[in-house]
Formats: sequence, C-alpha cells, structure tokens
Amino acid sequence: MPDNNTQDSTDDRTVTDGGVAGQAGQAHRNTDYLSAEVNLLNPSTQFMRDHLRIVWTGFVIWVIAVWGPVTATYLATDTMTTQMPVLGFPLHYFLVAFGAPTSALLLSFWYSRKRDALDEKYGIDHGAVESAGRESGDAAAADGGVDE
Amino acid sequence: MTGAATVPLQESLLPEALNISFKLLPALLVIGMLGLFLAIGFVFRVADTEDMWVAGRSIGNVENGMAIGANWMSAASYLGMAASIALAGFYGLVYVVGWTTGYFILLIFMAAQLRRFGKYTAPDFVGDRFNSDGARAIAAITTFLIGFVYAIGQAKGMALVGLYIFGDYGGIIPGLDGYQVMVVAMMVITVGYLTLSGMMGATKNQAVQYTILIIAFVAGLLVVGYTNGYSTVLPQLEYGMLIDDLGSEFSEPFATSSYYLWVATTFSLIVGTCGLPHVLVRFYTVESERTARWSTVWGLFFICILYWSAPAFAAFGTDLYTQNVDPTYGDPGMTGAASEVIVVLAAQLSNLPQWFVGIVAAGGIAAAIATVAGLFIAGSSAISHDIYTNIINEDATQRQQILVGRLSIVALGVLTTLAALDPASSIAALVGYAFALAGSVLFPMFFLGMWWENANRPGALAGMTTGLVGWSIPMINEIVPTYVSSLEAPLSAGLAQWMPAIGSALITLPVVFIVTIAVSLVTEEPDIETKRVVRQCHSPEPMGQQQAAEDVVTDGGETPADD
Repeated sequence: MPDNNTQDSTDDRTVTDGGVAGQAGQAHRNTDYLSAEVNLLNPSTQFMRDHLRIVWTGFVIWVIAVWGPVTATYLATDTMTTQMPVLGFPLHYFLVAFGAPTSALLLSFWYSRKRDALDEKYGIDHGAVESAGRESGDAAAADGGVDE
Repeated sequence: MTGAATVPLQESLLPEALNISFKLLPALLVIGMLGLFLAIGFVFRVADTEDMWVAGRSIGNVENGMAIGANWMSAASYLGMAASIALAGFYGLVYVVGWTTGYFILLIFMAAQLRRFGKYTAPDFVGDRFNSDGARAIAAITTFLIGFVYAIGQAKGMALVGLYIFGDYGGIIPGLDGYQVMVVAMMVITVGYLTLSGMMGATKNQAVQYTILIIAFVAGLLVVGYTNGYSTVLPQLEYGMLIDDLGSEFSEPFATSSYYLWVATTFSLIVGTCGLPHVLVRFYTVESERTARWSTVWGLFFICILYWSAPAFAAFGTDLYTQNVDPTYGDPGMTGAASEVIVVLAAQLSNLPQWFVGIVAAGGIAAAIATVAGLFIAGSSAISHDIYTNIINEDATQRQQILVGRLSIVALGVLTTLAALDPASSIAALVGYAFALAGSVLFPMFFLGMWWENANRPGALAGMTTGLVGWSIPMINEIVPTYVSSLEAPLSAGLAQWMPAIGSALITLPVVFIVTIAVSLVTEEPDIETKRVVRQCHSPEPMGQQQAAEDVVTDGGETPADD
C-alpha cells in the first residue's frame, strides 16, 4: 500500500492504548481502511462487521417498533383497540403515538452507547484527536470558549 | 362560517372561533422575539466563510441537539401536527411517527459518515461524491424546490397565527382577504429578517429559538390541561383518559385512511427526514463524529418533548372545541382553518389571559421563522454556492455571490407567498410533499453514495432524474389542479390511491435505488480516489476537527479543501 497516512496516528495509539489492545485492537492496527471495500451487505473489515451487527440489530427492532403496531392493528383490529388499564388509551393509539417515538429515542441512545463501546474495544480514542486537532487546527477556529 | 363546500375557498381560510383582532401584548411579544434573534445574530456574527457555513465545526452535543430541534420543528410540528390529529384522527399520527423515528436511520447510517465527509452543503456532497456538476445542479434545484414547497406550509401557519395577534386587514391590498394580507405581511417580515441576519450566529439563534418554542408549547399544554381539569403534571400520558369521550373519529384506526396510505406516508416522511438538506448540514457543524452521534440522540430527545405533547394538545383542543363552539366531527364539523390553529384555540377557549395565549401563538411564529430561515439559507446557498459559483461563474467575487444569494432568498419569498395565498393542503401535508421530494431524490444519493463505493456519476444522474420525475407525477395529479380553476383534483383517482403525493417515496425510492444501481453497474466504476474518500468516511480512525475525508485521502490533511 503506497501513500496511506496511518503512521503518525499509529504512534499515538501505542501510547494511549496503555497495553489494553486485545485482538480487536490488533486487528484495527493491522487494517488499512482506505484499501478495504465499503460494502453494506458484505463488510470487509472486522470493525465494520462488528459495527454492522449493531446497526442491523437496531434496524430490525426499529422496523418492528415503527410498523409493527399499525400492522397488528390492521390484522387484529379488535384486540389492538382495547382500552389499556390505568392510562385509558386504546392500545394501538398508545403504541403509535407514544411507543414509536420513544422506541426510536431509546434505540438511538442504545446505539450510541454501543458504538462508543466499540471504539473502546478497538482502542480508538476520539478525545485525544479532538484536543490534538484543536491545537493543530486553524487558529481562526476560535470557538469562543463556549464548549461544554 | 361553516366552511361547507359551497363557500369559496378564501372565505373558509379564516378560522372560525379564533379571536381575530389586534392585541398589543402578543404583538409586542412577537416583535421583541424577532429583535432578540437579531441581537443574538449580531453578537455572534461571523467573519469568514468557514464560520458562516459550518459554524467553525465547533458545536457541541447539547447545543447541536437544540439546533437540530429548532431547525426541525416548524409550523408543521407546532401547529400542523395537532391539526392533523384533531381532524384526521389516527391517520394524523403518521406525522408523529414519521417525523421522529427517521432520526434513528439518520443516526445509524449517516450522521457520523456525513461529519467525516465534511462538506458545506447537501449539493456539495452530491457534486463531489459523484464528480459531476450535473448532479450538483440537480441536487441544488431539488434543494431550492424543497425550500419552496416546505415554506408554503410555514407561510400558511404564520399567517393564521398572525391573524390572532395582529387582526384582520382584509381589503388593505385590493382583492386579498385577511388571511392573504397576513401571508404577504409575514413573508415580507421573514425575508427582511433573513436579509438582515444572514446566517449570522444561526446556530446560537437556533438554541434560543428551540427554548422559546418548547417552553411556549409545553407551558401552554400544561396550563390548558390543568385549568380544564384534564391533567395535572404529565398531560402527555394523562390525555389517554379523555380519548374515549372524544368520539370514535379521534382514535378509530383506518377510518379516514387506508392501511396502505398510513404505511406509505410514514415511509415517505422517514426517508425524507434523512434527505432534507437543512437537516443533513447540521452534521457538518459538529466538532467530531462522536458529537455527530450524540447530538442526534439529544436532538431526537428535544424533538420528542414536543411530539409527545402534540397529540395531547389535539385531544384537549378537540374537546374544548366541541364543548364551546360546535361538534368537532360530523356535519359541518371543524374547518381545516380552525384545526390548523387548534393549539392557539385550545389556549383561547380555556379563557387564559391574552398574554399567555400570545406566548403560545408567538411560539408558532418562532417555529416557522426558525425553519424558514434554515430552508431559505439552504435554498439560496444551493443557488449561489452550488449553481452560480461552481457552475456558471467560477470567478464570482464575494459580493456577486452574496448578491445572488440575497436575490434567491427574495425569489423564494415571492414564490412562497404566491403559492400560500390559496394553499392546496393542510400545513402538515404541504410539508409532507417536501419530504417526499427529499426522500425521492436526495436520500438515495446520500445513502448509496455513502454505503456503496461503486455508485457512480451516470448512476446518480439517472437516479436523481428518476426521483424528480417520480415525485412530480402525483404532484401533477393531485396538487397542480387545485391551482388551475378548470381542473378537478385528482386527475386520476387510481393513481392517487396507490401513489399518493404525501407518500410517493414508498414507490419512488425503490425505483430510484434500482435505477441508480443498474446504471452504475453497466457503466464504468468510479476512480480509486473517490472510493478512498468513501472508505475514509467509514474508517473508525479518528479525524482532526478541521479535516474532511477528502483531505485525509489526498494528502494527509496538509492543505485545505480546494473547492
């Protein structure tokens, strides 16, 4: 592989790893992502395989949460329109009006947590680059010091 | 006042039961609010283009989340959604589902990758990814069209709320009734405001705009629920007890629509969410891809606060209307115009003080202005940056670019005003058409461009053309005839049933995918440079704050992007 630019960041990682790099970290270090094909259906790197497993799991649950209740209501109208105890909603109404948006929110939270965990597993540290990027970045990029 | 079919359309555009008159305190509230936006814009004004387009890529999680929320929640969320739920019952919930759940798809498939790609506008992505000025131009035209169609709904919402705050000035402009005069007035204010403020401190402004509109909405709901004895502290869950009393029209499934229409509409709204230029551009503004992800979670949370509340507002408003005015359902029933302001009506019918109703109404105007600002900026930058500067006049000076940008904002304003004088549909549906367009043309390009490295220029051109044509067919069938007096909409009932304008992406999207993939397969693969940019978008390797994928791939990020 000719001009890829992984050298400098690899050096960084050996320091920040602190020796925790397991098999996943090794694989990450040995991967040249710019030579590995991007394919949604047939991922070519170990990281992409792990990532897409999370993505597809979330996607399937999401499809069920979004169109499951309305399809069930279409197929079994009487069962789905019974009134819920305590809240008083017809079941189908609650699952659609409250259930679907809430599921999407919880799934998003779950995905972001999973994705962070994946970064950790592979020994990827965004924090180091964020601060390094800021120092070496354009001086004009003053952010007014408002970052949290 | 009944809005029966024999009454000319213009007259039924005045919402009955709404207290239309000039009100000093609410008017001062709106003016003060606009002044505040301008002041914030002035304090956080920007000097260079990097800051102008992508806010220096310095925005953090919560702030970007609020900006996503403000950008997102327009008059369609604030007014239109409750209106649809009140009038169309269970079918109205498609907007609640379609306008929230799409963010998950955006998150898992696109948010971080977009941050890594790191361009300035949506047409920029299409043009650079597919190495084609033609594709860039189609994307820019689509962006302009989206801004136009989307803003019609906003103009309608602003005008209806404006009637409550400023009163009826029908006849001041010859031939125009009170609603139409208000459309003109509100659009003049909006365009003037945009010309003054530009993109100055837009992100800071959006955080403030979000705060204003969510407080107005939730406080309104809490007070309406409490004073009428509907609810105590959690109206979002307590309105369930009320549903049984509202009549079967409110909750009966598939009473006003088929199961197919339900699925088609939600699908269209979801993919539209993932293709709207003013939404996508929010991911270019953040400091890192991790922020891109978490700010999506925050954004969705902020959006959900309003979307959990809107059905409750619709339920309270429906009940109050039935008790105080006329039965909501049956003949004559509530008119479309009255339903569009059900949120304001609910507050007014609860006998709340005028300034409080004014706050609820002002929130609607804040929502509409925040979104129109985002849309018009996206639309005008598509014309000035992507078409004029990149294609027509590559040596354009800064002054020329800004002039073209301003002119396109005015053009958008004029077009929108004209179309909003006699709008063809409800606010939510009008906005829905823009989603169908974004989902038909832009989403497939972003998705395939990001996830399939072999998608190429001819594929993109063929796909986008197909998407535009596919979207136009039901629009010509259902919407255009309402503007032509000699025609009756829809032209073909069968087409309207299976390819409804509001849900056309369900048909168009798979066709565009197939066309793009097929044409890409039979033509030459994109060059290795392009493929490496796509791979860089998916690499887990962290990138610097100011880097775009292209920089890393070409030279390790030593020189800035050269477009």
